[in-house]
Amino acid sequence: MSHRGSRFLLILLLGLIFGPAVLAQDAPSSQTLFMTFVPNVQFSPVYIALEKGYFADAGLDITVEHGDEPLGVDLIAAGERQLGLISGEQLLTARGRGRPVVFVYEWFQRYPVAIVAPVESGIESVQDLAGRRVGIPGRFGASYSGLTALLAANGMTEQDVDLQEIGYNAPEVVCIGGVDAAVVYINNEPLQIENRAQQGDCGDVTGVNVFPVYDAADLVSNGIVTNEATIAEHPELVSAFVGAFDRALREAIDNPAEAYLLSLPYVEGLPSDDALTAALTTAADEQTAWLADNAGVDLAARAVRRAEILAGLKEQFDSDTLIQFEVLLATIDLWDADQLGLTEADSWALTQDVLLQMGFMEAPLDDLAAAYTNDFLPAANGE
Amino acid sequence: MKGRRDYVRLSGRLFVPLLLPAILLIVWQIVVSLGVYPEFIIPSPLAVFEKFVEVLGNGRLLTNTWATLSQTLVGLVIGVLGGVVLGYAIAKNRLLDDVLSPLVITLQSTPVVAYAPLLVIWFGSGPTSKIVTSALIVFFPMLMNTVVGLNSVPASLRDLMRSLRATPWQMFTHLEVPAAMPLLLGGLKVSATLAVIGSVVGEFVSARAGLGWLINDARYNFDTPLVLVAVFMLAVIARTLYALVGLLERRMLAWRR
Repeated sequence: MSHRGSRFLLILLLGLIFGPAVLAQDAPSSQTLFMTFVPNVQFSPVYIALEKGYFADAGLDITVEHGDEPLGVDLIAAGERQLGLISGEQLLTARGRGRPVVFVYEWFQRYPVAIVAPVESGIESVQDLAGRRVGIPGRFGASYSGLTALLAANGMTEQDVDLQEIGYNAPEVVCIGGVDAAVVYINNEPLQIENRAQQGDCGDVTGVNVFPVYDAADLVSNGIVTNEATIAEHPELVSAFVGAFDRALREAIDNPAEAYLLSLPYVEGLPSDDALTAALTTAADEQTAWLADNAGVDLAARAVRRAEILAGLKEQFDSDTLIQFEVLLATIDLWDADQLGLTEADSWALTQDVLLQMGFMEAPLDDLAAAYTNDFLPAANGE
Repeated sequence: MKGRRDYVRLSGRLFVPLLLPAILLIVWQIVVSLGVYPEFIIPSPLAVFEKFVEVLGNGRLLTNTWATLSQTLVGLVIGVLGGVVLGYAIAKNRLLDDVLSPLVITLQSTPVVAYAPLLVIWFGSGPTSKIVTSALIVFFPMLMNTVVGLNSVPASLRDLMRSLRATPWQMFTHLEVPAAMPLLLGGLKVSATLAVIGSVVGEFVSARAGLGWLINDARYNFDTPLVLVAVFMLAVIARTLYALVGLLERRMLAWRR
């Protein structure tokens, strides 16, 4: 073999050995993000990060999958997935059963569960629920935790109410009078029931009273979850994802009209006729200009501004058309905080107490602080 | 010599059905021992057995097994009766066949899990919605088997019965029922296992008791051994019902052997 030929073979050999490693360094990390529920406008921060390329900028190739929460926790715990959007109480229950999962970013700063009761029921406080029929999806998950915490904060227990498991059918069951009240997600079902009531499509119901859990107890809600192995071996992956998500979440809070528009390709059936799309595009542009003039406005000012945007749209569109935009705005109220993503020890201690009271945990965790961390918050990283 | 052969044959019949479960149990333990998956994903057979003993002892297993079994049995009876009666009517009436068959085929091909949430809204979260789910899932195979069974009666036998001036009742009891019985019992075998599925689907959607509810509860509590205990009980119920129909089949079709 000639000298040239042997040199060519050597280069080829080195290329075969080291080529894939070099390529892998530059290629984005492919990750499947586990999310509960179904595609919904409430996941708009994820859609923003996908549409605006924030994940890609962070070197991540993110694919989204939906499933039920226990499955997601187990997939993450087993290392089949590295990232998911999971609730805090599920994470604690899972850690109590040996799953090495860790909460790294508190997405929902306020617990999204509430009790809704038709005004005709005469239920005007949590105490009025005593002896009444209260619907709940089931004795599991965030709804059950929220109910337990809300009742406990009012000196009551589950035994004080007639709890009925109704699946995720609260609007229908409330409207036909199947229950006197129902445990619901505050950003969704109350709006749906009120919307139906306004259209005369909810039996005798004309309006609802809502009793949020967050008024009584600061439980940990949904957030970004990973596993201990990923934190130990690939902390850069967690940082990259949290950073991109945080950026998108801020934009969703600041500009909900844009968030809605960017969610359209992902959420089937989201109202989006030409008139609404045009109005939202205008609202998004105006909000961009407003943000440029009002940089650093506080939480209250942002909420007022969102209400103004909704009021403007309500002059042009009926409630059916705007219902999902209203859901988004109600959800943003649950996200917004002075410091996004921050998770606090007191909330974890309270959540654990509620789970122990419910019997979902047999004993307190040996090390509750190991269940969560603020180390990956962009501010903590000096970004 | 013959006694020894009988003994060997009997031992074989008892032993062979246990062979596969025993092999699966050994493979299961090997997988756990090798640590292929963490124990919270695949718990050891011993952990599952301990959970079984625990929930058997505190009454949780029997309460929920009875809830599922009672719903399954009621649903099975309603579904079977409904399927056989309507199936007979369709087999006997061409007009009814033309009107109902397309609808029946459409409904049969619709997975019950798709409309189970609606059944909970319509019939409540108590046992009724599970019984209806169970009855519906049983109804269609029974109906189809009844129609096919009755249509499979040879025309020559019908002609023979007519030539003997058999009354409609005699035609029914002495020809149609015996001739359709193999298919009816085949349908009943399938239905017995489907009825369990129907009940559990309803319990998954919303329930206060039952093995489907227990599985959901265990999953949300990350209690994998309890999930497996409940799955095992469901398998036992389905297998027992299947075996009972098998016994019934042997008795009722003894004339064929």
